Amino acid sequence: MNVISNHTINATIALAALEEVLDPEIGLNVVDLGLIRQLDFDEPNKRIFVSMTLTTQFCPMGETLTGAVKRVLQRTFGDVEINVHLCFDPPWTPDRISEQGRSFLNQ
Amino acid sequence: MSNGFPKAEFRNTPAAVVVPFYLYAAAGFLVCTILLLLSAGSFTLHFFNPAVLAITHVMALGWGTMIILGASYQLLPVLTERSLWSFKLAQWSFVLAAVGIPLLVYGFYTFNMGWPAKWGGRLVLISVLLYLINIVKSSRTGKKINVHACFMATAAGWLFITAFFGLALVYNFTWPFLPKDILAYLPLHAHAGLLGWFLLLIFGVGSRLIPMFLISKHEDKKRLWIIFGLVNGGLLFFLFSFYLNDKYAVIVPAMMIGTALLLFAGYIYKVWKSRIRKKVDQPMRVSLLSVAMMLVPLCCLLIASAWWISSKHQAQMVLLYGFIILFGWLTSIILGMTFKTLPFIIWNNCYHDKAGVVKTPDPKELMSATLFKWMALCYLPGFVLFSAGILLEQLVLLKSGAGALIGAALLYNLNVIKVWLHKPVV
Repeated sequence: MNVISNHTINATIALAALEEVLDPEIGLNVVDLGLIRQLDFDEPNKRIFVSMTLTTQFCPMGETLTGAVKRVLQRTFGDVEINVHLCFDPPWTPDRISEQGRSFLNQ
Repeated sequence: MSNGFPKAEFRNTPAAVVVPFYLYAAAGFLVCTILLLLSAGSFTLHFFNPAVLAITHVMALGWGTMIILGASYQLLPVLTERSLWSFKLAQWSFVLAAVGIPLLVYGFYTFNMGWPAKWGGRLVLISVLLYLINIVKSSRTGKKINVHACFMATAAGWLFITAFFGLALVYNFTWPFLPKDILAYLPLHAHAGLLGWFLLLIFGVGSRLIPMFLISKHEDKKRLWIIFGLVNGGLLFFLFSFYLNDKYAVIVPAMMIGTALLLFAGYIYKVWKSRIRKKVDQPMRVSLLSVAMMLVPLCCLLIASAWWISSKHQAQMVLLYGFIILFGWLTSIILGMTFKTLPFIIWNNCYHDKAGVVKTPDPKELMSATLFKWMALCYLPGFVLFSAGILLEQLVLLKSGAGALIGAALLYNLNVIKVWLHKPVV
Protein backbone atom coordinates (compact mmCIF):
# COMPACT_ATOMS: atom_id res chain seq x y z
CA MET A 1 0.00 0.00 0.00
CA ASN A 2 3.03 2.25 0.31
CA VAL A 3 1.72 4.25 3.30
CA ILE A 4 4.11 5.32 6.06
CA SER A 5 2.85 5.24 9.64
CA ASN A 6 4.09 5.29 13.23
CA HIS A 7 1.30 2.95 14.37
CA THR A 8 0.66 -0.18 12.28
CA ILE A 9 -2.58 -1.28 13.93
CA ASN A 10 -4.24 2.14 13.85
CA ALA A 11 -3.04 2.69 10.29
CA THR A 12 -4.66 -0.60 9.23
CA ILE A 13 -7.94 0.47 10.84
CA ALA A 14 -7.72 3.93 9.28
CA LEU A 15 -6.94 2.62 5.81
CA ALA A 16 -9.81 0.13 5.99
CA ALA A 17 -12.13 3.03 6.88
CA LEU A 18 -10.70 5.29 4.17
CA GLU A 19 -11.59 2.71 1.53
CA GLU A 20 -15.08 4.24 1.81
CA VAL A 21 -13.82 7.53 0.36
CA LEU A 22 -14.12 7.33 -3.40
CA ASP A 23 -12.69 9.61 -6.04
CA PRO A 24 -15.99 10.62 -7.70
CA GLU A 25 -14.58 10.72 -11.23
CA ILE A 26 -12.61 7.49 -11.19
CA GLY A 27 -14.84 5.55 -8.79
CA LEU A 28 -11.80 4.14 -6.97
CA ASN A 29 -11.11 4.68 -3.27
CA VAL A 30 -8.38 7.06 -2.11
CA VAL A 31 -6.33 4.23 -0.59
CA ASP A 32 -6.09 2.08 -3.73
CA LEU A 33 -5.64 5.22 -5.80
CA GLY A 34 -2.49 5.89 -3.74
CA LEU A 35 -3.57 9.29 -2.47
CA ILE A 36 -2.77 8.54 1.19
CA ARG A 37 0.94 8.90 1.87
CA GLN A 38 1.40 9.03 5.63
CA LEU A 39 -0.71 8.45 8.74
CA ASP A 40 0.75 9.47 12.09
CA PHE A 41 -1.02 9.02 15.40
CA ASP A 42 -0.31 11.22 18.41
CA GLU A 43 -2.30 9.24 20.99
CA PRO A 44 -1.51 11.29 24.12
CA ASN A 45 -2.75 14.48 22.44
CA LYS A 46 -5.54 12.73 20.50
CA ARG A 47 -4.33 13.89 17.11
CA ILE A 48 -4.03 12.23 13.71
CA PHE A 49 -1.82 13.63 10.96
CA VAL A 50 -2.66 12.65 7.42
CA SER A 51 -0.39 13.42 4.53
CA MET A 52 -2.15 12.90 1.25
CA THR A 53 -1.98 13.98 -2.36
CA LEU A 54 -4.41 14.48 -5.25
CA THR A 55 -4.23 13.16 -8.81
CA THR A 56 -3.64 16.75 -9.83
CA GLN A 57 -2.90 19.84 -7.78
CA PHE A 58 -5.94 22.15 -7.69
CA CYS A 59 -8.22 19.22 -8.48
CA PRO A 60 -11.80 20.61 -8.32
CA MET A 61 -12.67 17.64 -6.08
CA GLY A 62 -9.74 18.33 -3.74
CA GLU A 63 -11.70 19.96 -0.92
CA THR A 64 -14.39 17.30 -1.15
CA LEU A 65 -11.82 14.50 -0.82
CA THR A 66 -9.86 16.04 2.07
CA GLY A 67 -13.15 16.80 3.86
CA ALA A 68 -14.33 13.21 3.38
CA VAL A 69 -11.01 11.82 4.70
CA LYS A 70 -11.38 13.97 7.85
CA ARG A 71 -15.00 12.96 8.41
CA VAL A 72 -14.30 9.24 7.98
CA LEU A 73 -11.35 9.31 10.39
CA GLN A 74 -13.36 11.35 12.89
CA ARG A 75 -16.14 8.78 12.75
CA THR A 76 -13.68 5.88 13.13
CA PHE A 77 -11.50 7.25 15.93
CA GLY A 78 -14.01 9.44 17.78
CA ASP A 79 -12.93 12.56 19.59
CA VAL A 80 -9.61 13.31 17.89
CA GLU A 81 -8.18 16.24 16.03
CA ILE A 82 -7.49 15.46 12.39
CA ASN A 83 -4.87 17.40 10.45
CA VAL A 84 -4.81 16.77 6.72
CA HIS A 85 -1.79 18.01 4.87
CA LEU A 86 -1.65 18.00 1.09
CA CYS A 87 1.71 17.12 -0.40
CA PHE A 88 2.50 17.39 -4.12
CA ASP A 89 6.20 16.72 -4.02
CA PRO A 90 6.67 14.28 -5.64
CA PRO A 91 3.47 14.62 -7.66
CA TRP A 92 1.03 11.72 -7.88
CA THR A 93 1.59 9.32 -10.79
CA PRO A 94 -0.46 6.26 -11.85
CA ASP A 95 2.39 4.11 -10.41
CA ARG A 96 0.88 4.76 -6.97
CA ILE A 97 -2.31 2.85 -7.83
CA SER A 98 -2.43 -0.49 -5.98
CA GLU A 99 -2.81 -3.86 -7.69
CA GLN A 100 -6.46 -4.03 -6.54
CA GLY A 101 -6.97 -0.56 -7.96
CA ARG A 102 -5.49 -1.59 -11.30
CA SER A 103 -7.71 -4.64 -11.53
CA PHE A 104 -10.73 -2.42 -10.74
CA LEU A 105 -9.75 -0.03 -13.54
CA ASN A 106 -9.14 -2.93 -15.93
CA GLN A 107 -12.68 -4.25 -15.51
CA MET B 1 -8.30 21.50 11.95
CA SER B 2 -6.20 22.09 8.92
CA ASN B 3 -8.13 22.51 5.71
CA GLY B 4 -5.45 20.52 3.96
CA PHE B 5 -4.65 23.12 1.33
CA PRO B 6 -1.16 24.61 1.41
CA LYS B 7 -2.30 27.65 -0.53
CA ALA B 8 -5.08 29.28 1.46
CA GLU B 9 -6.02 31.55 -1.42
CA PHE B 10 -7.12 28.67 -3.67
CA ARG B 11 -10.85 28.50 -4.35
CA ASN B 12 -12.83 26.38 -6.77
CA THR B 13 -14.81 28.41 -9.28
CA PRO B 14 -18.38 28.37 -7.87
CA ALA B 15 -21.05 26.45 -9.81
CA ALA B 16 -23.13 29.66 -9.97
CA VAL B 17 -20.42 31.20 -12.18
CA VAL B 18 -20.02 28.22 -14.50
CA VAL B 19 -23.47 26.63 -14.91
CA PRO B 20 -25.19 29.58 -16.71
CA PHE B 21 -22.71 29.17 -19.57
CA TYR B 22 -23.68 25.49 -19.95
CA LEU B 23 -27.41 26.28 -19.92
CA TYR B 24 -27.06 29.10 -22.42
CA ALA B 25 -24.94 26.93 -24.73
CA ALA B 26 -27.48 24.09 -24.58
CA ALA B 27 -30.25 26.51 -25.62
CA GLY B 28 -27.95 27.91 -28.32
CA PHE B 29 -27.41 24.43 -29.76
CA LEU B 30 -31.17 23.82 -29.93
CA VAL B 31 -31.82 27.22 -31.56
CA CYS B 32 -29.10 26.48 -34.07
CA THR B 33 -30.51 23.11 -35.12
CA ILE B 34 -34.00 24.66 -35.49
CA LEU B 35 -32.49 27.36 -37.71
CA LEU B 36 -30.82 24.59 -39.74
CA LEU B 37 -34.24 23.08 -40.46
CA LEU B 38 -35.91 26.43 -41.18
CA SER B 39 -33.09 27.54 -43.49
CA ALA B 40 -32.07 24.19 -44.99
CA GLY B 41 -32.45 25.63 -48.50
CA SER B 42 -29.74 28.23 -47.75
CA PHE B 43 -27.20 25.41 -47.68
CA THR B 44 -27.66 24.86 -51.42
CA LEU B 45 -26.61 28.47 -52.06
CA HIS B 46 -23.29 30.30 -51.73
CA PHE B 47 -22.12 30.32 -48.10
CA PHE B 48 -22.29 34.11 -47.85
CA ASN B 49 -26.02 34.40 -47.14
CA PRO B 50 -27.92 35.70 -44.08
CA ALA B 51 -29.11 32.34 -42.74
CA VAL B 52 -25.70 30.65 -42.99
CA LEU B 53 -24.02 33.67 -41.37
CA ALA B 54 -26.57 33.65 -38.54
CA ILE B 55 -26.28 29.88 -37.97
CA THR B 56 -22.48 30.05 -38.05
CA HIS B 57 -22.48 32.73 -35.35
CA VAL B 58 -25.01 30.92 -33.12
CA MET B 59 -22.85 27.80 -33.40
CA ALA B 60 -19.51 29.51 -32.93
CA LEU B 61 -20.57 31.96 -30.21
CA GLY B 62 -23.82 30.77 -28.62
CA TRP B 63 -22.83 27.11 -28.55
CA GLY B 64 -19.06 26.58 -28.85
CA THR B 65 -17.70 29.74 -27.25
CA MET B 66 -20.25 29.94 -24.43
CA ILE B 67 -19.66 26.40 -23.23
CA ILE B 68 -15.90 26.70 -23.60
CA LEU B 69 -15.88 29.95 -21.61
CA GLY B 70 -17.82 28.24 -18.82
CA ALA B 71 -15.72 25.08 -18.86
CA SER B 72 -12.47 27.01 -18.95
CA TYR B 73 -13.47 29.09 -15.91
CA GLN B 74 -13.97 25.75 -14.13
CA LEU B 75 -10.89 23.98 -15.49
CA LEU B 76 -8.46 26.88 -15.41
CA PRO B 77 -7.16 26.06 -11.90
CA VAL B 78 -6.33 22.50 -13.02
CA LEU B 79 -4.38 23.83 -16.00
CA THR B 80 -2.68 26.87 -14.52
CA GLU B 81 -2.40 25.60 -10.94
CA ARG B 82 -4.02 28.64 -9.35
CA SER B 83 -7.53 30.00 -8.77
CA LEU B 84 -9.48 32.03 -11.27
CA TRP B 85 -8.45 35.69 -10.86
CA SER B 86 -11.97 37.16 -10.70
CA PHE B 87 -15.35 35.44 -10.39
CA LYS B 88 -17.15 38.78 -10.91
CA LEU B 89 -15.43 39.36 -14.23
CA ALA B 90 -16.44 35.84 -15.31
CA GLN B 91 -20.08 36.61 -14.48
CA TRP B 92 -19.95 39.90 -16.40
CA SER B 93 -18.46 38.13 -19.40
CA PHE B 94 -21.52 35.86 -19.34
CA VAL B 95 -24.05 38.70 -19.10
CA LEU B 96 -22.47 40.70 -21.92
CA ALA B 97 -22.13 37.72 -24.27
CA ALA B 98 -25.63 36.48 -23.39
CA VAL B 99 -27.13 39.82 -24.50
CA GLY B 100 -24.71 40.46 -27.37
CA ILE B 101 -24.98 37.13 -29.20
CA PRO B 102 -28.76 37.25 -29.97
CA LEU B 103 -28.45 40.87 -31.14
CA LEU B 104 -25.59 39.98 -33.47
CA VAL B 105 -27.37 36.88 -34.80
CA TYR B 106 -30.59 38.85 -35.35
CA GLY B 107 -28.55 41.37 -37.35
CA PHE B 108 -27.14 38.61 -39.56
CA TYR B 109 -30.44 36.75 -39.98
CA THR B 110 -32.23 39.88 -41.17
CA PHE B 111 -29.05 41.13 -42.82
CA ASN B 112 -29.46 44.41 -41.01
CA MET B 113 -26.03 45.67 -40.02
CA GLY B 114 -27.54 48.58 -38.09
CA TRP B 115 -27.67 48.92 -34.31
CA PRO B 116 -28.51 45.27 -33.37
CA ALA B 117 -25.46 43.83 -35.14
CA LYS B 118 -23.22 46.68 -33.99
CA TRP B 119 -24.33 46.55 -30.36
CA GLY B 120 -24.23 42.77 -30.44
CA GLY B 121 -20.67 42.86 -31.75
CA ARG B 122 -19.60 45.48 -29.19
CA LEU B 123 -21.02 43.51 -26.25
CA VAL B 124 -19.41 40.28 -27.46
CA LEU B 125 -16.07 42.07 -27.87
CA ILE B 126 -16.21 43.48 -24.31
CA SER B 127 -17.17 40.06 -22.98
CA VAL B 128 -14.19 38.49 -24.75
CA LEU B 129 -11.91 41.23 -23.38
CA LEU B 130 -13.04 40.43 -19.82
CA TYR B 131 -12.35 36.74 -20.47
CA LEU B 132 -8.90 37.54 -21.87
CA ILE B 133 -8.01 39.68 -18.82
CA ASN B 134 -9.20 36.94 -16.46
CA ILE B 135 -7.26 34.20 -18.24
CA VAL B 136 -4.04 36.21 -18.52
CA LYS B 137 -4.20 37.32 -14.86
CA SER B 138 -4.91 33.75 -13.74
CA SER B 139 -2.15 32.26 -15.90
CA ARG B 140 0.64 34.43 -14.51
CA THR B 141 1.97 31.99 -11.96
CA GLY B 142 5.51 33.30 -11.72
CA LYS B 143 6.64 29.69 -11.86
CA LYS B 144 7.97 27.88 -14.92
CA ILE B 145 5.94 28.25 -18.11
CA ASN B 146 2.98 25.90 -18.24
CA VAL B 147 2.29 24.69 -21.78
CA HIS B 148 -1.45 24.19 -21.14
CA ALA B 149 -1.83 27.71 -19.74
CA CYS B 150 0.02 29.06 -22.80
CA PHE B 151 -2.42 27.32 -25.13
CA MET B 152 -5.32 28.78 -23.16
CA ALA B 153 -4.03 32.36 -22.91
CA THR B 154 -3.01 32.44 -26.59
CA ALA B 155 -6.41 31.04 -27.61
CA ALA B 156 -8.08 33.83 -25.61
CA GLY B 157 -5.87 36.33 -27.49
CA TRP B 158 -6.96 34.91 -30.85
CA LEU B 159 -10.59 35.05 -29.72
CA PHE B 160 -10.18 38.75 -29.01
CA ILE B 161 -8.58 39.30 -32.44
CA THR B 162 -11.44 37.36 -34.08
CA ALA B 163 -14.13 39.37 -32.27
CA PHE B 164 -12.36 42.67 -32.99
CA PHE B 165 -11.97 41.86 -36.68
CA GLY B 166 -15.57 40.61 -36.84
CA LEU B 167 -16.83 43.91 -35.43
CA ALA B 168 -14.68 45.77 -37.96
CA LEU B 169 -16.35 43.75 -40.75
CA VAL B 170 -19.80 44.70 -39.39
CA TYR B 171 -18.80 48.40 -39.41
CA ASN B 172 -17.48 47.99 -42.94
CA PHE B 173 -21.07 47.43 -44.14
CA THR B 174 -22.04 50.96 -43.00
CA TRP B 175 -18.76 52.77 -43.53
CA PRO B 176 -16.67 50.84 -46.06
CA PHE B 177 -13.01 51.30 -45.16
CA LEU B 178 -11.46 47.95 -46.13
CA PRO B 179 -9.77 47.98 -49.56
CA LYS B 180 -11.03 44.54 -50.72
CA ASP B 181 -14.43 42.89 -50.98
CA ILE B 182 -15.72 41.60 -47.63
CA LEU B 183 -15.63 37.98 -48.92
CA ALA B 184 -11.85 38.21 -49.12
CA TYR B 185 -11.64 38.87 -45.38
CA LEU B 186 -14.01 36.14 -44.23
CA PRO B 187 -11.38 33.34 -44.29
CA LEU B 188 -9.12 35.44 -42.02
CA HIS B 189 -11.92 36.11 -39.53
CA ALA B 190 -13.13 32.49 -39.65
CA HIS B 191 -9.70 30.88 -39.25
CA ALA B 192 -8.58 33.20 -36.46
CA GLY B 193 -11.67 31.89 -34.63
CA LEU B 194 -11.62 28.24 -35.69
CA LEU B 195 -7.89 27.62 -35.41
CA GLY B 196 -6.68 30.35 -33.06
CA TRP B 197 -9.53 30.05 -30.60
CA PHE B 198 -11.18 26.64 -30.83
CA LEU B 199 -8.28 24.48 -32.01
CA LEU B 200 -5.65 25.94 -29.66
CA LEU B 201 -7.97 25.82 -26.68
CA ILE B 202 -9.13 22.27 -27.34
CA PHE B 203 -5.51 21.14 -27.84
CA GLY B 204 -4.45 22.82 -24.59
CA VAL B 205 -7.33 21.52 -22.52
CA GLY B 206 -7.58 18.11 -24.24
CA SER B 207 -3.88 17.37 -23.80
CA ARG B 208 -4.35 17.79 -20.05
CA LEU B 209 -7.81 16.34 -19.49
CA ILE B 210 -7.79 13.28 -21.76
CA PRO B 211 -4.73 11.74 -20.01
CA MET B 212 -6.34 12.61 -16.65
CA PHE B 213 -9.64 10.94 -17.51
CA LEU B 214 -7.98 7.87 -19.03
CA ILE B 215 -5.30 7.76 -16.26
CA SER B 216 -2.40 7.64 -18.63
CA LYS B 217 1.26 8.09 -17.81
CA HIS B 218 2.07 9.45 -21.25
CA GLU B 219 3.45 12.97 -21.19
CA ASP B 220 5.26 14.74 -24.01
CA LYS B 221 5.62 18.48 -23.36
CA LYS B 222 8.05 18.89 -26.27
CA ARG B 223 5.46 17.61 -28.74
CA LEU B 224 2.86 19.95 -27.25
CA TRP B 225 5.19 22.94 -27.70
CA ILE B 226 5.77 21.92 -31.33
CA ILE B 227 1.99 21.72 -31.87
CA PHE B 228 1.63 25.15 -30.23
CA GLY B 229 4.26 26.59 -32.59
CA LEU B 230 2.77 24.93 -35.68
CA VAL B 231 -0.78 26.19 -35.06
CA ASN B 232 0.29 29.75 -34.24
CA GLY B 233 2.91 29.78 -37.02
CA GLY B 234 0.41 28.33 -39.52
CA LEU B 235 -2.16 30.91 -38.59
CA LEU B 236 0.31 33.82 -38.84
CA PHE B 237 1.53 32.49 -42.19
CA PHE B 238 -2.12 32.27 -43.34
CA LEU B 239 -2.67 35.93 -42.41
CA PHE B 240 0.55 36.83 -44.23
CA SER B 241 -0.47 34.79 -47.31
CA PHE B 242 -3.52 37.06 -47.62
CA TYR B 243 -1.19 39.81 -48.85
CA LEU B 244 0.59 37.49 -51.29
CA ASN B 245 -2.63 37.21 -53.32
CA ASP B 246 -1.64 33.69 -54.36
CA LYS B 247 -4.24 30.92 -54.14
CA TYR B 248 -1.55 28.30 -53.54
CA ALA B 249 0.08 30.19 -50.65
CA VAL B 250 -2.57 28.58 -48.43
CA ILE B 251 -0.87 25.19 -48.87
CA VAL B 252 2.00 26.02 -46.47
CA PRO B 253 -0.20 27.01 -43.50
CA ALA B 254 -2.55 24.10 -44.31
CA MET B 255 0.43 21.74 -44.10
CA MET B 256 1.56 23.29 -40.81
CA ILE B 257 -1.92 22.93 -39.31
CA GLY B 258 -2.23 19.43 -40.80
CA THR B 259 1.06 18.42 -39.16
CA ALA B 260 -0.17 19.84 -35.84
CA LEU B 261 -3.40 17.83 -36.16
CA LEU B 262 -1.48 14.63 -36.89
CA LEU B 263 0.92 15.25 -34.01
CA PHE B 264 -2.01 15.84 -31.65
CA ALA B 265 -3.81 12.72 -32.92
CA GLY B 266 -0.53 10.80 -32.33
CA TYR B 267 -0.28 12.24 -28.82
CA ILE B 268 -3.83 11.13 -28.00
CA TYR B 269 -3.14 7.69 -29.52
CA LYS B 270 -0.13 7.25 -27.20
CA VAL B 271 -2.23 8.41 -24.24
CA TRP B 272 -4.87 5.85 -25.24
CA LYS B 273 -2.34 3.02 -25.59
CA SER B 274 -0.74 3.71 -22.20
CA ARG B 275 -4.01 4.24 -20.31
CA ILE B 276 -4.58 2.37 -17.07
CA ARG B 277 -8.33 2.84 -17.15
CA LYS B 278 -9.41 0.30 -19.74
CA LYS B 279 -13.16 0.84 -19.54
CA VAL B 280 -14.02 4.09 -21.30
CA ASP B 281 -17.43 5.67 -20.69
CA GLN B 282 -19.81 6.99 -23.39
CA PRO B 283 -18.99 10.72 -23.02
CA MET B 284 -15.28 9.96 -23.32
CA ARG B 285 -15.87 7.86 -26.46
CA VAL B 286 -17.79 10.70 -28.11
CA SER B 287 -14.98 13.11 -27.18
CA LEU B 288 -12.37 10.79 -28.68
CA LEU B 289 -14.44 10.57 -31.86
CA SER B 290 -13.82 14.29 -32.29
CA VAL B 291 -10.05 13.68 -32.42
CA ALA B 292 -10.59 11.46 -35.48
CA MET B 293 -13.02 14.04 -36.92
CA MET B 294 -10.33 16.75 -36.82
CA LEU B 295 -8.73 15.42 -39.97
CA VAL B 296 -11.90 15.49 -42.14
CA PRO B 297 -12.09 19.31 -42.54
CA LEU B 298 -8.48 19.32 -43.66
CA CYS B 299 -9.38 16.96 -46.52
CA CYS B 300 -12.24 19.32 -47.50
CA LEU B 301 -9.86 22.28 -47.49
CA LEU B 302 -7.35 20.46 -49.69
CA ILE B 303 -10.10 19.48 -52.17
CA ALA B 304 -11.44 23.07 -52.15
CA SER B 305 -7.92 24.34 -52.98
CA ALA B 306 -7.42 21.86 -55.85
CA TRP B 307 -7.00 23.40 -59.31
CA TRP B 308 -9.61 21.14 -60.96
CA ILE B 309 -12.45 22.24 -58.68
CA SER B 310 -14.98 24.66 -60.23
CA SER B 311 -15.82 27.80 -58.25
CA LYS B 312 -19.34 26.46 -57.58
CA HIS B 313 -18.02 23.22 -56.09
CA GLN B 314 -15.33 25.14 -54.27
CA ALA B 315 -18.00 27.18 -52.47
CA GLN B 316 -19.80 23.92 -51.64
CA MET B 317 -16.61 22.42 -50.18
CA VAL B 318 -16.06 25.56 -48.10
CA LEU B 319 -19.60 25.26 -46.74
CA LEU B 320 -19.02 21.59 -45.95
CA TYR B 321 -15.66 22.43 -44.38
CA GLY B 322 -17.30 24.93 -42.00
CA PHE B 323 -20.19 22.58 -41.24
CA ILE B 324 -17.86 19.67 -40.40
CA ILE B 325 -15.75 21.85 -38.11
CA LEU B 326 -18.70 23.36 -36.21
CA PHE B 327 -21.23 20.51 -36.22
CA GLY B 328 -18.74 17.63 -36.38
CA TRP B 329 -15.45 18.20 -34.63
CA LEU B 330 -16.49 20.96 -32.21
CA THR B 331 -19.95 19.59 -31.42
CA SER B 332 -18.80 16.03 -30.79
CA ILE B 333 -16.16 17.15 -28.29
CA ILE B 334 -18.70 19.38 -26.53
CA LEU B 335 -21.41 16.69 -26.44
CA GLY B 336 -18.92 14.35 -24.78
CA MET B 337 -17.12 16.77 -22.47
CA THR B 338 -20.35 18.35 -21.16
CA PHE B 339 -21.14 15.10 -19.40
CA LYS B 340 -17.57 14.67 -18.19
CA THR B 341 -17.69 18.06 -16.46
CA LEU B 342 -21.24 19.27 -15.66
CA PRO B 343 -22.30 16.27 -13.49
CA PHE B 344 -19.13 16.74 -11.40
CA ILE B 345 -19.72 20.47 -10.97
CA ILE B 346 -23.29 19.84 -9.77
CA TRP B 347 -22.25 16.81 -7.68
CA ASN B 348 -19.53 18.83 -5.97
CA ASN B 349 -22.03 21.59 -5.26
CA CYS B 350 -24.57 19.16 -3.75
CA TYR B 351 -22.35 16.68 -1.92
CA HIS B 352 -18.98 18.29 -1.10
CA ASP B 353 -19.82 18.27 2.63
CA LYS B 354 -21.59 14.90 2.60
CA ALA B 355 -18.90 12.69 1.06
CA GLY B 356 -17.55 10.36 3.74
CA VAL B 357 -20.58 10.91 6.00
CA VAL B 358 -23.29 9.16 4.00
CA LYS B 359 -23.37 7.18 0.79
CA THR B 360 -23.71 9.65 -2.05
CA PRO B 361 -24.78 8.86 -5.63
CA ASP B 362 -22.13 8.48 -8.27
CA PRO B 363 -21.71 11.77 -10.26
CA LYS B 364 -22.39 9.80 -13.45
CA GLU B 365 -25.83 8.93 -12.04
CA LEU B 366 -26.82 12.59 -12.25
CA MET B 367 -27.12 12.29 -16.04
CA SER B 368 -29.20 9.79 -17.98
CA ALA B 369 -27.09 7.27 -19.91
CA THR B 370 -30.18 6.37 -21.99
CA LEU B 371 -30.76 9.98 -23.06
CA PHE B 372 -27.07 10.24 -23.88
CA LYS B 373 -27.16 7.08 -26.00
CA TRP B 374 -30.22 8.28 -27.95
CA MET B 375 -28.66 11.71 -28.36
CA ALA B 376 -25.58 10.09 -29.94
CA LEU B 377 -27.83 7.92 -32.14
CA CYS B 378 -29.64 11.05 -33.44
CA TYR B 379 -26.50 13.15 -33.74
CA LEU B 380 -24.38 10.86 -35.92
CA PRO B 381 -26.93 10.19 -38.71
CA GLY B 382 -28.06 13.84 -38.53
CA PHE B 383 -24.51 15.02 -39.08
CA VAL B 384 -23.86 12.56 -41.94
CA LEU B 385 -27.20 13.30 -43.68
CA PHE B 386 -26.75 17.06 -43.50
CA SER B 387 -23.15 16.82 -44.78
CA ALA B 388 -24.36 14.64 -47.67
CA GLY B 389 -27.13 17.19 -48.32
CA ILE B 390 -24.57 20.01 -48.66
CA LEU B 391 -22.43 17.92 -51.00
CA LEU B 392 -25.29 16.66 -53.18
CA GLU B 393 -27.44 19.83 -52.85
CA GLN B 394 -30.41 17.69 -51.83
CA LEU B 395 -33.04 19.47 -49.74
CA VAL B 396 -34.55 16.21 -48.49
CA LEU B 397 -31.17 15.14 -47.05
CA LEU B 398 -30.62 18.57 -45.51
CA LYS B 399 -34.07 18.58 -43.87
CA SER B 400 -33.86 15.02 -42.57
CA GLY B 401 -30.35 15.71 -41.26
CA ALA B 402 -31.56 18.89 -39.54
CA GLY B 403 -34.51 16.94 -38.06
CA ALA B 404 -32.19 14.35 -36.54
CA LEU B 405 -29.91 17.10 -35.20
CA ILE B 406 -32.93 18.81 -33.55
CA GLY B 407 -33.63 15.45 -31.88
CA ALA B 408 -30.01 15.29 -30.67
CA ALA B 409 -30.18 18.88 -29.37
CA LEU B 410 -33.49 18.24 -27.56
CA LEU B 411 -32.09 15.12 -25.85
CA TYR B 412 -28.91 16.99 -24.97
CA ASN B 413 -30.98 19.81 -23.42
CA LEU B 414 -33.10 17.35 -21.44
CA ASN B 415 -29.98 15.68 -20.06
CA VAL B 416 -28.35 19.01 -19.17
CA ILE B 417 -31.55 20.14 -17.40
CA LYS B 418 -31.75 16.79 -15.57
CA VAL B 419 -28.21 17.27 -14.24
CA TRP B 420 -28.79 20.95 -13.41
CA LEU B 421 -32.03 20.29 -11.47
CA HIS B 422 -30.53 17.46 -9.43
CA LYS B 423 -31.38 17.84 -5.75
CA PRO B 424 -29.29 16.17 -3.02
CA VAL B 425 -30.84 12.78 -2.21
CA VAL B 426 -29.11 12.42 1.17
